[in-house]
Amino acid sequence: MIKQIDYPNILLDALEHGVMIVDEEFNIVYWNQWLEINTGHTYSSVMEKSLLTFYPEIDYRTLQRKIRTTLRLNSPTFYDASLNNRFIPIPRNKITSSLLSTMQLQVTISPYIVEQRMVMIAVYDISDLHELKLVRQQQMEKIAHLNSELQHDKQIIDDNLLIVKTDGEFHITEVSKAFNAFFGFKENELIGWPLQIIYSDKTPLTEYTYMKKTLQNLERWTGEIEIISKQSEPLWMDAVMTPWIAREGVLSSYMAIYHDITDKKRLEILATTDPLTKLYNRYKFDEIFNIMLMRGHWKADDSFAIVMADIDNFKHINDMYGHPRGDEVLVKIAELLAKMLREGDTIARWGGEEFIFLLPHVDAHKAMFVAEKLRIAVEQLGLFVNVSVSFGVSLYVEGDTNATLLNRADTALYKAKENGKNRVEILQ
Amino acid sequence: MNKKVEFSGDHLDVLRELMNIAVGNATASIADLLQAFGTMHIPKIVISDISGLKQYIHDTIPIQSSHYVTKQLFGGPLGGEFIFVITDEAAINLGNHLYDVDAPSDADIYDAVIELTNILSATMISRLTEELNVKVQFFVPSTEIIQGNDLIYLEDTLEYSQIIIISTQMEFQNQNINGHIFILTKDAMIQSLKDLIDQKLEELYA
Repeated sequence: MIKQIDYPNILLDALEHGVMIVDEEFNIVYWNQWLEINTGHTYSSVMEKSLLTFYPEIDYRTLQRKIRTTLRLNSPTFYDASLNNRFIPIPRNKITSSLLSTMQLQVTISPYIVEQRMVMIAVYDISDLHELKLVRQQQMEKIAHLNSELQHDKQIIDDNLLIVKTDGEFHITEVSKAFNAFFGFKENELIGWPLQIIYSDKTPLTEYTYMKKTLQNLERWTGEIEIISKQSEPLWMDAVMTPWIAREGVLSSYMAIYHDITDKKRLEILATTDPLTKLYNRYKFDEIFNIMLMRGHWKADDSFAIVMADIDNFKHINDMYGHPRGDEVLVKIAELLAKMLREGDTIARWGGEEFIFLLPHVDAHKAMFVAEKLRIAVEQLGLFVNVSVSFGVSLYVEGDTNATLLNRADTALYKAKENGKNRVEILQ
Repeated sequence: MNKKVEFSGDHLDVLRELMNIAVGNATASIADLLQAFGTMHIPKIVISDISGLKQYIHDTIPIQSSHYVTKQLFGGPLGGEFIFVITDEAAINLGNHLYDVDAPSDADIYDAVIELTNILSATMISRLTEELNVKVQFFVPSTEIIQGNDLIYLEDTLEYSQIIIISTQMEFQNQNINGHIFILTKDAMIQSLKDLIDQKLEELYA
């Protein structure tokens, strides 16, 4: 006799998910092997018994409504799978993750034998999928938290730091709120303009070129720079500019952070400037002079000169026209001399009616030429009284000190006076 | 690019009539199964492309609210996507009604929305496919909360060239529940729908 094979039951037991058949009163008619193994309730122990006996915590009102809907529409109904299991709890044995202690189930209620009011409830373990979702959700929450912190920090920076960003061509791309507020610019007003537009035109071109070159070499540039506000007020800034390398060494932009040092600068200017002529005072000149001496790599054809100048017959002007007019002459000559110098030259008031110059990168001939040019300019100044200036030049040679150079320039000046004034003498 | 399927006035009339029957069926089922008595609007049928669908949804769904959006796929000779959109306020009222609690939990609300979607999709689509003498398979629905009315993800829609939009609105005034329903089908399925309607027309006029 051929043994009858129970194909449907074998098939249901072979399934990789749970299948139970229940009637409208929740009486269990079938319980497959997957459920036996995973719930610990055997087929024989649950058969003909109510689901309620084993799982009293299920919301049976909802389950009944879903079963009724399934039978009435002859179409499957579903439990929502996006939240924790709301059907039977089935323990989960995953050790390497503790996000889910019970299986997350996808529950589908399908019509089975509608005339006998029976449905098939299939439960699918979607824990791994749900776990991924939870992990992703946790990561998204972390990212959201970090983003909010980042946003907060960015806000603090934007509100408090004076920052300008430029593209690789030094055109402004971004300006912090604090910068706009501090300098009186409107939002986006500076965007697209060259960075140079915010700098004072007193900024030496060489300084700007040096800054650009440093940054293009992917190095940081620091320095003091004067920025002009929207209201045309010059403000001194301590600046740090850094190149921004986006990826694979490709330079993409520059960022400048400014710090207001206007008050410090004013004090510094007061300490280093002659109040009448606005030229450097003796203290500041000495500082620059000593730096030049320390460089020490000067040659005969590329040296630096010290030029001392003294207004001829200045005592006579004071006596004739009074000290205020004498001061006026001093100021006018100072302005003229300062204006005529090359970029990088230094002029200071040495005392009384005396000025001193430091001319880098000259030889004796060029130093004499510059001094002569200055002399002629003063001669042609056209003030209320004819004025002239005598010049004494000395050129740095190896072994010179501050004192020896000054002494030679002073002697040359004395010689110029001796030789009739309004002339230039050099002592090498 | 797929060739566009041309629908005649007769095709649209039949589809409209079938949808009217489906909507009546859905209203009756909800009254019976959920004890909620209300009305459903006469469905609108629009043949569109993806940008038209986006615009249609933007024009239909208010942007100010957040919504529970349940999407369920159905397959077979006629396949597509069934979308049920309900404001979070209406979803809470639905959870309240089905679970008979003052403050339904998130799980209650999600489950209530899924349950209503089940009934709507099963009754409307089943009735439509029954009339067209074909069987349909429903897939597991999923619900998400969306701020505003951006229901369509670009990456989901790149393959679409032609879409039929069947939309209606349900209102259950006593429970203060209303929602929008969209039945979307595309490209090859539109041809399939046209063929099925042709068969129906032959049956009717044979």
